[in-house]
Amino acid sequence: MADVAFLAEFADGHPTRSALELAAGAAELAAAAGGGAVGLAYGPGAADGAASLGAAGAARVVVLDSAAAPAVTVAGPLVEAVRAAAPVAVLAPATPNGRDLAAVLVGSLGLPAFGPVRAVHMEGGAVRCEMSTLQGAMITASQSASSAPATSVVLVSSGTYAPSEGSGTAVVSQAPAADSPQTKVRIVESATEAAAIAALEEAEIIVAGGRGVGSEAGFEALNQLAAALGGVVGASRAAADAGWVPYQLQIGQTGKVVKPALYLAVGISGAIQHRVGMQAAEHIVAINRDPDAPIGEFADLFVVGDLFEIVPRLTAEIERRKGA
Amino acid sequence: MAPPTSTQSQSSETGYRLSREHDELRALVRQLAEERIAPRAAEIDAKAEFPWDLKQLLAEHDLLGTGFEERHGGTALDGIGQAIVVEEVARADATTSLIPVIQKLGALPIMLAGSEEQKDRYFPRLASGEWLPAFALTEAGAGSDVASVRMRARREGEDYLLSGTKRFITHGSVANVLTVFALTDPDAGGRKGMSGFIVETDTPGFSVARLEHKMGIRGSPTAELTFDEVRVPAANRLGEDGDGFKIAMSTLDRSRLAIASQAVGIAQGATDAALAYAAERRQFGERIVDFQAIQFMLADMASQTEAARQLTYAACARVDDEDPNLAYWTSAAKLIAGDTAMRATTDAVQVFGGYGYITEYPVERMMRDAKITQLYEGTQQIQRLVIARRLLARAGVESRGR
Amino acid sequence: MKIVVCVKQVPATTAEKRYTSELRLDRAATEAVINPLDEYAIEQALRLKEGGVVDEVVYLSMGPDSASEALRRSLAMGGDGGVLVTDPALAGADQWVTARVLAAALDRLAPEVTLMGMASDDARGSLVPGAVAAIRGLPLLAYGAELRLTDGAAQIRRLNPTGFDILEAPLPVVASVTDQVGEPRYASLKGIMAARRVELTTWALADLGLDPAGVASLTRLVGADPPPAKPPAQVISGVGPDEAATRIADWLAERKLIA
Repeated sequence: MADVAFLAEFADGHPTRSALELAAGAAELAAAAGGGAVGLAYGPGAADGAASLGAAGAARVVVLDSAAAPAVTVAGPLVEAVRAAAPVAVLAPATPNGRDLAAVLVGSLGLPAFGPVRAVHMEGGAVRCEMSTLQGAMITASQSASSAPATSVVLVSSGTYAPSEGSGTAVVSQAPAADSPQTKVRIVESATEAAAIAALEEAEIIVAGGRGVGSEAGFEALNQLAAALGGVVGASRAAADAGWVPYQLQIGQTGKVVKPALYLAVGISGAIQHRVGMQAAEHIVAINRDPDAPIGEFADLFVVGDLFEIVPRLTAEIERRKGA
Repeated sequence: MAPPTSTQSQSSETGYRLSREHDELRALVRQLAEERIAPRAAEIDAKAEFPWDLKQLLAEHDLLGTGFEERHGGTALDGIGQAIVVEEVARADATTSLIPVIQKLGALPIMLAGSEEQKDRYFPRLASGEWLPAFALTEAGAGSDVASVRMRARREGEDYLLSGTKRFITHGSVANVLTVFALTDPDAGGRKGMSGFIVETDTPGFSVARLEHKMGIRGSPTAELTFDEVRVPAANRLGEDGDGFKIAMSTLDRSRLAIASQAVGIAQGATDAALAYAAERRQFGERIVDFQAIQFMLADMASQTEAARQLTYAACARVDDEDPNLAYWTSAAKLIAGDTAMRATTDAVQVFGGYGYITEYPVERMMRDAKITQLYEGTQQIQRLVIARRLLARAGVESRGR
Repeated sequence: MKIVVCVKQVPATTAEKRYTSELRLDRAATEAVINPLDEYAIEQALRLKEGGVVDEVVYLSMGPDSASEALRRSLAMGGDGGVLVTDPALAGADQWVTARVLAAALDRLAPEVTLMGMASDDARGSLVPGAVAAIRGLPLLAYGAELRLTDGAAQIRRLNPTGFDILEAPLPVVASVTDQVGEPRYASLKGIMAARRVELTTWALADLGLDPAGVASLTRLVGADPPPAKPPAQVISGVGPDEAATRIADWLAERKLIA
């Protein structure tokens, strides 16, 4: 009988989408392990919102800290809470904050680490994790070694689990304070540069533009298509490097890794450095004027044509169907 | 008369071996060439502009000093190392590859015949790439026929006054310093009366009369230079009065090897481009690279380029060794490599089909660029003369040809 | 002030063999290179040295003997020394083992800043910097778009969806940087020649006071397969834009992605 813990990050008084996704995932895994999902909550609003994680799947929640401070500063109470709870796994989001905390857990307690995973199951009382490696060329399955401690740290990409809407409240407890070298990290300056850009990792529908879009102005058509679809805009590295979109929209090897239900790649050739950022999308549609573009090899629907002609017409058609 | 003996070159112990260092060097230059030079090639050709930015890039990465001693700030690479630099740049862009080529060519007369003082005076700035040199020998009436040079160098006290015109001087308009050949003793004729000089281009009386519009290597300025009583101190004369012809010939015997490397690079670039294109292009439901006709062309291009490359390296080793027969080797390398470049680029255009003819694809430029390797630094016909002369000499056959 | 940059030697990303109007890279899959993301860390460290803030840049790598290549390539970009930790017992080391071993080496080297790239290109692990920080008891400044050093402290600019935060911690720290640092420089020819002459330090586990039994991997691979084959794309071509738009909308509607 073993619990499955998960990192529950709060922001602006609410649980983040990753907290809700991991709550569902932890609940699913815990059911197979014969235990319950244990939330490890931190960030502004964590104390007040902890109980609500029950509806998301948590049996109980340990509140680490509610301060507005870098996530890594809760390392002290996190390590103690994990030591005390001894779960079979700790699920962490594959975001910079999640990775910071997962890494500190691995180093402090000497734990096996996996991920980002495509899937994780219980097998013989231990976790078995599936990961995509070598830029998607291989799917590997890993488990902890027999001599390893019983708690595994598992990085989970956004979109791997869907939040569930159940009922119930979780039992909330406060973690005892514990110091760590990470409390020395502090924010000395914060800047908001642009209107909040919707987190790409959390989007269900992404319309992404590449070199073929040609300019900042060219992205206007993609903005409209994304709006019509109820999605967000992303970009390949070529478009971000050219300054047509902010860096935060970059998807790929050195950008974001996304897993939306629909990825519409417009004017993107599909080189491997981009592919690794989006190949796990459920449906991939590509529009490109080059019939030999590599993206044709892994898209579900490949449309050969001029994006400047097709995208506005597609937007209009979608709007028309909505109105009808 | 005794029958001709074997025409085979005297075998010597000169072999060559490529090392790990050569591979690392090639990887460095190839990375620079693919990432920074290749993307500029089409623009350089279209605008016919000298790529100052790429000259700066090469200088910053110590690639213009490969022929200079470490004490002058160079990296003193062996002949094959210097060849690799030119080859890899030429694979991306023939115009840019002339920068390291001329950096050596312009300085060679000083390397061969200059005094230590002259080397110390000029080589540091050449090795660093701060200054560009050029080699000013050719005139309107003196191309293949070097001895027909007419430019005068009139002695006046401790100076010489140079008057005349030079034509087709690569980098003549961008050079800071020239190695110039002029008649100090017109009555003695070109072979005995020519002398070599180092001339700084900011000297009064020197001017660039015009630049040629060319078929290829369009970004490389080819200049007509006018000398109107340009004053050159005797301290800038190379060797003694009358040494000029020998210095010029000695220079060309070595510098033509750099052209061989340039040609090898152009041929390789064309072959690589043709292969990549053929692997993507589909006609009749198949990739054209799967058709034997295309495979045969690619096989010829690749193997002939490799042959030219290996011959060039063998020649480099002989130049490094100061082999008395080095002219035979460098001529053979330049002959084979130049013809290979022309053939490979023509075939590359053929592989591309109609697309090979339009400027959106690089092979038409490569074909236009390749032609010059059959013309400058000694036409292919001159190379054949040089080779034949050596062949006959070795076989003990008296030469009576024209 | 000393920075140690941890570099990893990885197989090169196999590039597509693709023709465009520029010549494309074509690297064999078996070629070993410096982890591309580590190059940004190298670039950041060298800039700090050029700025006069840092006196010494040393490279540290854990791997087989051939990983000395990665150290020499790093030195060819600039830097002062290289340390290789190599031991047969370390073959197939996981992130925990890597962190444990690097931490032991770093304790001996005692730099003010330990700098790494944000992840490795092969396994995409990314936890090593943080694990090293935890093991060494040092603050972690990860995912910096830029690293700055002030009097006794390090700062990183960390991007977030709405802008950025500047995070600061007192030295010594463990930091990682992203590709936002800027294009890594090329090696120069003189750099390559100088790198060949540098004497690398080599340590085995025993030199670090580590017992092979204490650094056994905590994870094990139990299976590796190519991903399930995806059916080939449905292709729409040779039709006008109106027709194409209609067909795309139909396709999306069939899958309930639009109304």
